[in-house]
Amino acid sequence: MSEQPVNPSAPTGIVLNIQRYCSHDGPGIRTTVFLKGCSLRCKWCGNPESIAFKPELAYDPRLCVGKKECGVCLKPPFPEGAFYVPDGADDDKVKVNWDLATDCDEAMVALCPTKALSMFGKRMTVDEVLDEVEKDASFYRSSGGGITLSGGECLLQPDFSAALLEGAHKRGFNTAIETAGNVPWAYMEKVLAHVDTCLHDHKMTDTERHKKWVGVGNERVLANFKKAYETFPGIDFIARTPLIPGINADEEHIRAVLAFIRPHKNVIDYELLPYHRFGLGKYEMLGEVYELDDYKTPSDDLVARLQAIIDEAFGRAGGAK
Amino acid sequence: MKEIGHASFQRRIAIMVGAGYVPGINAVIMGAALAAGKLGWEMVGIRDGFDGLLHPDRYPDGGLVPLDPKLIDNLDPAAAGLLGQAPRVDPFHVRTVNEDDMVEEVDMSDHLLSALKDQDIDALISVVGGRGLSILYKLHRKGLNAVCVPRSIENEIAATMVSFGFNTALSFTIEMLDRVRQAAQSARKIAVVEVLGEQAGWLALQAGIAVCADAVLIPEIPCDLRTVAARLKDKVTPRRPYGLVVVAEGAKFVDGPQAQAPPSSLKASLSPLSTGDASDHVIQRSGQAAETVATGLQLLIAEETYPLVLGPWVRGGAPTAVDRQLGLGYGAGAVRALKAGKNGVMVAFVPPDMTFVPLTEAINKVRTVPTDSEFIQIARSLGIFLGREL
Repeated sequence: MSEQPVNPSAPTGIVLNIQRYCSHDGPGIRTTVFLKGCSLRCKWCGNPESIAFKPELAYDPRLCVGKKECGVCLKPPFPEGAFYVPDGADDDKVKVNWDLATDCDEAMVALCPTKALSMFGKRMTVDEVLDEVEKDASFYRSSGGGITLSGGECLLQPDFSAALLEGAHKRGFNTAIETAGNVPWAYMEKVLAHVDTCLHDHKMTDTERHKKWVGVGNERVLANFKKAYETFPGIDFIARTPLIPGINADEEHIRAVLAFIRPHKNVIDYELLPYHRFGLGKYEMLGEVYELDDYKTPSDDLVARLQAIIDEAFGRAGGAK
Repeated sequence: MKEIGHASFQRRIAIMVGAGYVPGINAVIMGAALAAGKLGWEMVGIRDGFDGLLHPDRYPDGGLVPLDPKLIDNLDPAAAGLLGQAPRVDPFHVRTVNEDDMVEEVDMSDHLLSALKDQDIDALISVVGGRGLSILYKLHRKGLNAVCVPRSIENEIAATMVSFGFNTALSFTIEMLDRVRQAAQSARKIAVVEVLGEQAGWLALQAGIAVCADAVLIPEIPCDLRTVAARLKDKVTPRRPYGLVVVAEGAKFVDGPQAQAPPSSLKASLSPLSTGDASDHVIQRSGQAAETVATGLQLLIAEETYPLVLGPWVRGGAPTAVDRQLGLGYGAGAVRALKAGKNGVMVAFVPPDMTFVPLTEAINKVRTVPTDSEFIQIARSLGIFLGREL
């Protein structure tokens, strides 16, 4: 594993959330650190709050007690017209004009007494994050777990991510990342130097379709992954596909991914992530529109059939009949 | 008035249209161009929302369309929009791919304002819907000389009585409901037809009145499906073995039944802040209201029901005579506003006048159906049940 220098002038990053007791993001029990910022725009994205780099406003109307009891956000310093109570509404809870509320910052949000207003994301130091992660150190030791960086795209904060993972290694934690790979190679190289397990997405095989559904072609993504497999033979790579019926949940895509990864012995597995609709609520909290609203989760039969193809390719029992 | 750039014209103004087609757009453009020409002003149209100015490189023939008299003379008010469409019209969040091949949203509002200046355009007429009004208000606060024309199929924009496009949608909806009624009659079933109207029930109510539907369910009057079922039981008889229920897509229910997808057992391991797919925040799908009502009624009475969704079908087509006149009136009204020195206003049709209201009177408001409105009284007089006894 080649050692890359970590930029000491970037000890902070924008963190969306730190989630403990995760069991799907690498080996053992893990703490997953979600970073802000993404370089793709997948139409099925389940984490819309992770897309923008900057911390951003979120609103949960269930927590709003309304204009009569509160009304703080209807007055300065909140931007004019950013919050309002519609005439003739069933209750006096405020609504957000998301186009006029873009200037709301952390200081304003802190004025909301019920926390109906909050911010997705905050700036943290490496030590602040690692101290939080350290709380479950005993679980990591017993289970072989550790820290996983996710996002967004954790590689878009390469100095912060590298510093986090280097620090985690120093504290004796296993390290993993989840990445879609659409970053300059230098970013990926810098972070992978401190990674034990790399979970990486193969979303679409055809570059034109990749561009249609996630925003850019996949040439660089594939080039990065190939280079990563070859440059870092000590890392366990696990390929993943978010499985969306009608978009990529077909045998052809699965076989194409297998053809890409199987020549590389350090790609130890290929996992399917059946599409879920859990992110929908967060779109409304951000005032965004979910573009894939009519898509269904894949059937158990479909997932089983595609999983059998993977099992067969990896020589596991119960492969495709 | 000062001479700007183009010697033969006194002013140079631009017109743009927001996302989505609304019948009558060409009439607005025509009305504005004719009125401007009469004043000796030059008018240009911006292609595809703001794209013609923000991304002129995408247009080999230029991102601006000179709306000269010859073009306007030959413009078909009933044809599709002359200036094209853009899926998003928000210069504050323009999705782009940067030099590192990464997708990002950038604020191009300053770029837009300087591009307008570079083109010697001193005022902008924007034909926009509810959200577009907020965006134009933001641009106006940054110094843009703006006059807006409201556009809405659902007629929910506040401060104006009728938006252009609504009458075309209403006419088409009525025609479809007539056909559905005939089909329901021969099938001896109750048809439940969902029409546009997420926040305001004008389309459902006025179309429902026109076809004398058995029941009309609108967002403004949360309905009790048991009461609807009881009323239908009286109306659907062996001599009249069919029914027609019109439901707005934003209809609400007092006892809260919602057609929900079966809960997923999949773990949201990558979705740390999710609220679940059946939370208050779930965005309602098109067709859900019709399905909820049809299924609910079928469980409550011994009749077969079936849901139909008209929603998106009404967004196209040639404008009716009313929408042509309204479009021309709104376009000419916008030029009159500029001539009168108005800025940061929306043209409003308040019969019998075309008037101008500050944008702040139109944003953050929805023109809903008042429960004591004349339309409600008419519906009741005709025996149309509105979902709840008031």
